[in-house]
Amino acid sequence: MLEIKNVKKSFRDLEVLKDVSLDIGDGEVVVILGPSGSGKTTLLRCISFLEKADGGSLTLGDKEVSLKKATKKQINEFRKNMAFVFQNYNLFANKTVLENVMEGLTVARKIPKQEAMERALEALEWVGVINKKDAYPSELSGGQQQRVGIARAVVLNPEVILFDEPTSALDPELVGEVLDLIKKVAKRGITMIVVTHEISFAEEVASRVVFMDGGVVVEEGTPDKILVSPKEERTKEFLSRVLPKDMYYI
Amino acid sequence: MRAFRWDMFTEFFVKILPYISVTLTYVVGSVLFGFFIGIGIAMLRLSKKRALQVIGSLYVTIFRSVPSVVLLFVIYYGLPMWVENSFGIILEDTDTIVYVIVTFSLLLGSSMSEIIRTSYLAVPKGQYEAAVMVGLTPFTAIRRIVFPQGFVVALPNFGNIFIFMIKEGALAYTIGLHDILGRGMYLGGLKANVYNLELYLALTFIYWPCTFILEKAFKMWEKSLRNKRKKEKIC
Ligand SMILES: Nc1ncnc2c1ncn2[C@@H]1O[C@H](COP(=O)(O)OP(=O)(O)OP(=O)(O)O)[C@@H](O)[C@H]1O
Ligand SMILES: [Mg+2]
Repeated sequence: MLEIKNVKKSFRDLEVLKDVSLDIGDGEVVVILGPSGSGKTTLLRCISFLEKADGGSLTLGDKEVSLKKATKKQINEFRKNMAFVFQNYNLFANKTVLENVMEGLTVARKIPKQEAMERALEALEWVGVINKKDAYPSELSGGQQQRVGIARAVVLNPEVILFDEPTSALDPELVGEVLDLIKKVAKRGITMIVVTHEISFAEEVASRVVFMDGGVVVEEGTPDKILVSPKEERTKEFLSRVLPKDMYYI
Repeated sequence: MRAFRWDMFTEFFVKILPYISVTLTYVVGSVLFGFFIGIGIAMLRLSKKRALQVIGSLYVTIFRSVPSVVLLFVIYYGLPMWVENSFGIILEDTDTIVYVIVTFSLLLGSSMSEIIRTSYLAVPKGQYEAAVMVGLTPFTAIRRIVFPQGFVVALPNFGNIFIFMIKEGALAYTIGLHDILGRGMYLGGLKANVYNLELYLALTFIYWPCTFILEKAFKMWEKSLRNKRKKEKIC
């Protein structure tokens, strides 16, 4: 279980997150929607300690940590159960595809090289880029890079994977196949939080949709509830902008 | 007009040549310590704390604006006084080369910090974040992911620092160090400075291969790194 409680974050005098809380059950796929600048990325970054929150806490399993006061040791401990898939992939440019996937196993988790390699190869096979295992990231297409990014996350067997707009840097024709891969990750039963603008993905995969605006959770619920019959004005307004007219049936 | 004395040229050349080791000692020493100071100053300048940033940039502006000779004398006279007054240790017998290394480490620290800072910033921050997210500690993430890429960016500049140091270090003669130039001037004086043309020509032919070889060595190193990693590209 993943419990995000009362997260607050300001950049100077800009209040980006105003008390955001989310309860997420094991194996849930939570899709976060919201207009640009609503704080979605900041929320993911705060709960992965890439950004220090001004307040709030995180509970993962039976361990709780303050997002503001977490020690280096606690941060490392929590990150062992979390993985992040970035919008810009962020593959290690000085390492091959295989080394990218092995890094977290051998260096962080001290798994013997042979075993790490087997697991990494298996993960690359699973995401469909095994033929590029000795290539460097700059030799890959965006879609291939993001597959490696996903392999790098999945190979660690994390309890939670955070996806920040994993397909929005991709050429349109590659979006579908990467979304298919993310669906495949969801089927493995890993808890996922996915920030995306792909409404159809939310409709199909999400166990819950969260709509954020102006640093707060405006509304959350099943895809049916949020996408088809939202209650809040702000949600309706957002959906009417992003959904094609014929999909929006209220 | 007297004739050019090749025998004198040869004599100077042969007698000065062994002092390359002195020059190389302070070049390597200063670059090495300067590198560590540079890392420290770069960390201050990259820190999130305003006060530390200010200290870092103060260091850089101070040492960038002082001529090497001036600093050399400040250290030469000041360091023994400071050490004696604050630690009660008398530095009288200290080898002159120590002052040279201290001076140039401080000076190079300032330019190195700029090189290190810009090369660090040249590596996309997202890679560091990805590294800590797969469980690397911040230090390991820098060591294994950021540093190797920044190093490739910095290498040409490090080469220039070495060459700058060989040439600028010659100022060490002003505090009486017998390095290549210092020894040469001493030998020239023994001949009442009559053969100074032969002397300085000999010095030219000692300095030139030093910098030339160094330059080539760095070019080759760069090339080998680029070949090994020609496929890596900061993306
Ligand atoms: N490091 C930062 N420093 C200052 N302001 C920031 C920083 N990061 C984000 N912001 C601001 O915080 C607000 C929320 O940003 P955030 O990236 O979380 O939005 P988002 O919901 O992910 O938007 P998008 O859909 O465009 O990715 C924005 O106004 C942004 O300018
Ligand atoms: Mg974002």
